[in-house]
Amino acid sequence: MSALLNIIDKNQELSEDAMAPAIREMVAQAADVVAPVWPIKNFIACNPLQGLEDLPFEQAVSRSAAYAGASDTASNRVNRELIKWCSAFLDEGQATIAMPNRYLGFYRVFSDLARFDRNLRANADAQKWLTALPKAPEDAIADSFKRLNIAVSDQEDFVRLGLATLPGWSGYVKWRTHWQDATEGGANPITLVDYVAVRLVLTCMLMPGAKMPRLTSTALPNDITKIEAAETTYRAALLSDLMAEVGNLGQPAPRPNAQLVFCIDVRSEPFRRSLESQGPYQTFGFAGFFGLPVRVKGYDDDPHDSCPVLLKPCHEVCERPTELDPASVRRHDDGRALLKLPKSFFQALKYNFATPFALVEMLGPWCGLRMLARTYAPLLLTRLNQAMRDKIMPAIATEPDLSDIALVSQVGYGEGALRMIGLNDNFAPVVVFCGHGSSTSNNAYAAALDCGACGGNHGGINARILAAILNKAEVRASLTERGLHIPEDTVFAAAEHDTTTDHVTMLGEDADNVHPDILAELKKDLGKAADCNRLARCATFGLSPHSCEQACEATQTRSCDWSEVRPEWGLARNAAFIVGPRELTRNINLGGRSFLHSYDWKGDEEESFLQTILTAPMVVAQWINSQYLFSTLDNVVWGSGSKVTQNVTGKLGVMQGNASDLMHGLPLQSVYAADNAPYHEPLRLLTVVYAPRQRVQALIERNQVLQKLFFNGWVNLAVIDPNENRAYHLQRDSTWKKIS
Amino acid sequence: MTFLELRLDLASVFRADPLSWTMAALIAVVIVTVSGYSRRYMAGDRNRSGYGRTLLLLGMSILVMVFADSLWVMLASWGVSNLLLVRLMIHKQEWRAARNAGLLALKTFSGGFGMLALAFCLLSRSAHTSSIAAILAHSKEISGHQTSLALMLIILAAMTQSAIWPFHRWLISSLNSPTPVSALMHAGLVNGGGFLLVRFAPLYLARPDFLHLLFMAGLVTAILGTTWKLLQTDIKRMLACSTMGQMGFMVIQCGMGLFAPAVSHLCWHGLFKAYLFLSAGSVVQEKRRENPFRGITLASFGVSCLFGVIGAYTFAQTSSSAFHAGDTSIVLLGLAFMAATQLSCKILDSVRGPGRALFSLVVSIVTGALYGISLRLVEHVLAPLGLLRPQPLDVFYLSGLIVMTLIWLSMNMNIAVRLQNTAFWKRLYMAGLNGGQPHPSTITERRSAYHG
Repeated sequence: MSALLNIIDKNQELSEDAMAPAIREMVAQAADVVAPVWPIKNFIACNPLQGLEDLPFEQAVSRSAAYAGASDTASNRVNRELIKWCSAFLDEGQATIAMPNRYLGFYRVFSDLARFDRNLRANADAQKWLTALPKAPEDAIADSFKRLNIAVSDQEDFVRLGLATLPGWSGYVKWRTHWQDATEGGANPITLVDYVAVRLVLTCMLMPGAKMPRLTSTALPNDITKIEAAETTYRAALLSDLMAEVGNLGQPAPRPNAQLVFCIDVRSEPFRRSLESQGPYQTFGFAGFFGLPVRVKGYDDDPHDSCPVLLKPCHEVCERPTELDPASVRRHDDGRALLKLPKSFFQALKYNFATPFALVEMLGPWCGLRMLARTYAPLLLTRLNQAMRDKIMPAIATEPDLSDIALVSQVGYGEGALRMIGLNDNFAPVVVFCGHGSSTSNNAYAAALDCGACGGNHGGINARILAAILNKAEVRASLTERGLHIPEDTVFAAAEHDTTTDHVTMLGEDADNVHPDILAELKKDLGKAADCNRLARCATFGLSPHSCEQACEATQTRSCDWSEVRPEWGLARNAAFIVGPRELTRNINLGGRSFLHSYDWKGDEEESFLQTILTAPMVVAQWINSQYLFSTLDNVVWGSGSKVTQNVTGKLGVMQGNASDLMHGLPLQSVYAADNAPYHEPLRLLTVVYAPRQRVQALIERNQVLQKLFFNGWVNLAVIDPNENRAYHLQRDSTWKKIS
Repeated sequence: MTFLELRLDLASVFRADPLSWTMAALIAVVIVTVSGYSRRYMAGDRNRSGYGRTLLLLGMSILVMVFADSLWVMLASWGVSNLLLVRLMIHKQEWRAARNAGLLALKTFSGGFGMLALAFCLLSRSAHTSSIAAILAHSKEISGHQTSLALMLIILAAMTQSAIWPFHRWLISSLNSPTPVSALMHAGLVNGGGFLLVRFAPLYLARPDFLHLLFMAGLVTAILGTTWKLLQTDIKRMLACSTMGQMGFMVIQCGMGLFAPAVSHLCWHGLFKAYLFLSAGSVVQEKRRENPFRGITLASFGVSCLFGVIGAYTFAQTSSSAFHAGDTSIVLLGLAFMAATQLSCKILDSVRGPGRALFSLVVSIVTGALYGISLRLVEHVLAPLGLLRPQPLDVFYLSGLIVMTLIWLSMNMNIAVRLQNTAFWKRLYMAGLNGGQPHPSTITERRSAYHG
């Protein structure tokens, strides 16, 4: 008898062993309906339909809409409880008292605590089940299907529907499952399987009669059908502008005073145009992390990954002081510690019992004065603050420490960067790498305005690293051996463009020492370019400043005003990704709508650079483009709604009001000038490549990512063939249509 | 009617005393800030012009309320202010959760208004006048069941307005409002209850039973609000629960006869909380230490307690001479002690270097002094009203102080981590988590239910 039982037990174990992977596989499949949602402090733009990119664009939109629309009010209680559990478990440091034992993982903590949750009270049978939930989430999922009587054939769709009901929270869990660095998140581990298990258990408890609803296919939203017409108009205009310039290409240029390499970000284009008109400057476009897969630590900052999320950092680079006088370094360090003290005092009293009662009275008068000042004199207050900070913590000069990057890698990064943008010869005396970042106040979406290529961070430090690499004599010697000769008198420098105020800060003083005259001139011209660009940008805010000074003050005020919901327009109105030499676009006002990647097809015999450009920077541009596109099309489904009622939860994202789905995507104010007036024009990305059509064709044929994006209609591709001087538009059936 | 007559009429309906001026100053600062803030914060919003008008009307209505001498004017402006607030809360009518949150507040306010109306009827009948000044001037002569009932009803009305348990639900469900409205609410109208109690303070000072009742209601609210706040994971609800706790403490002060400190608390808390709401977007970048209570050593805590006593002494010296350890003002001394101790302990445990003991001592003295000076400032203004009447310390007050001290001590003993494996703690945690949830109908359960 006991032997028989053993056999039965074993059989069950066997079947369960086979079951768990199957359930995990099913959950992974079902999760295609939601896109990963990054924490808001990095705010990585992502196509909200990323999991459905294997489908044609229109089908993906309808499918997503069908799932989003299928959940009915019957699931409200489940959603409410799930929001409660998710926000409490996933919290990244808002609560002082965290959910007990979070390190055990979401499902295990839930199965342990749920029996104490009076909101889940149900009939005796369900209660009994709840107090003794299975140990593994896979088993809980299987049990729940049994309790709910969901047919095997419906199970995957039932899970998919559950995930699509709160796409923000489930998308965040998807990020935690598939994208987060494996070394992080140990304090509160969670996977999609945990999440689905909890959702199903809650469904069993609160909505025991849940049925698999019928998915009705929804008609394509009206706006989607309108897009195509707008795209055609935009494409025709852009290509005709570009074709007019084709004849000017390839003429030898005199040696410029300085060459500046900017990020491909659409905000660089108007600034580059303004700068080029000031003097003999040549500009380039390159992904703002400058090809360096690094994790960086600014001297006064915490370390962070400073490269696209598609890459894993290979090196860690810290900034170290170049100051020779140890006393001034110490003074700086002490000042930093001192500046941190008030905040830590505040927190010690605020996040405690009884002490907050005294705290509010201690700080009340101060808060009242500060509140008035921040509202009515934000610029003055910010300047005072800055002056005080500089007094307490005097700035010191720093430089990146390259010891974690082997020399051969340094040479590789240097060569790759220069060749990728076609900067092989005719080096100017000064070459500046210019990263970018934004500066805003009281803005939960600050990272959305920073450099996407640097993972939602400022890009200045990457620029410094590349400049330092290329200034090294050993690196230059190796580059010469590889056929890339950099003249003796060329010096590399780094800078950072503040996209909110248009101020460009030179980082480090290497170049000042070598070419002081050129640098002085350049700094002046950067100032003039900034003036130009500010005037143009003020117009987009509906301001009409009378002078450059007024424009400067207006942009700076926007940058430090705590009540400003549109400090800058970010990447709004982005529409095109242009791969080619700057001469192609230099005379055209692209209106800040184009990502510009410099590329010289003649130096790329094997199309390896083009492949990199189309599969990395273009994909990032496509993510950004789709985020703006969908957030504009339906700001409730794909955007995060109005900033006015947003509520930051767990330091990881925002909810609307009291509690809601995790609102991913862009807020209304980022894409709308007013509630009913979109500022962003929803267009799918138009990629224009200046290279022989056969080469592009061959590249697409061997690359599935490109096929998916072009043939499913996620990205439009046009090629300007330099051999024929003709433009072609790639059709979804893989044929080429001659444009002009 | 001639101009002179009108002026006389106005004079009989309105009266300005230090309390009115204090409240008016608070409201002015908050309204001026919130209006300026909203100008840019609400840019592009389709309802912004109506919003701006309502904001100004609300400011005026509150001013009428604080300067009112007639019961009826006060009642009317009380009602109007609350209606305007509800109007601001429901900024986008299409959003069901926001509408429900507004209706929940409206229901609570209506109850409060009804009770207040009844209370004022009773009061004016037993005092034979509707002038508040006259009623207060004869507070000793007015007595009887009618008056007691009226005072009880006023307490209840105050509790609804200031989100005192069990009338707190509307406040922690009020975050579907635009951020500046929350700032205004937490610095303005939620203080209405406190204002009401202080306005009629002379009547309550003669009736210790009512004071005890206030003390208990405040204590329960302070404990619930503050502990819920510590569990909250989103910034705005955390601030709302925190306000609930602070309102509880304000009522505790009323219950101890410390009406002037209650006004001080109400004003400074209002500014503090408005500031935190308006800067709620910054919380993403704010860095927090993992667990502030880990690594507190007994030795440094002992030394800190000593410094805490010095801090409390400084507080007593700077705040007011009316403080004696033998009456309820010991509770304020206790708070000053806890705050000073906490900070000096923080320094002893985190700052390195030889001068840290001295630094720690200086900080605890500054802590006591800052608290004391803030309090003194308001007390000084209100001094003519004689609103500082500490009550003799009895078992009620003492046990309240002991409970607060014990909870504070257990927080510092890192109780949340030490007990997290016990069923007791898990039960307590879930009860707290559920207790601090907003009303279900005010949650946006599905994306499509949101309307921006």
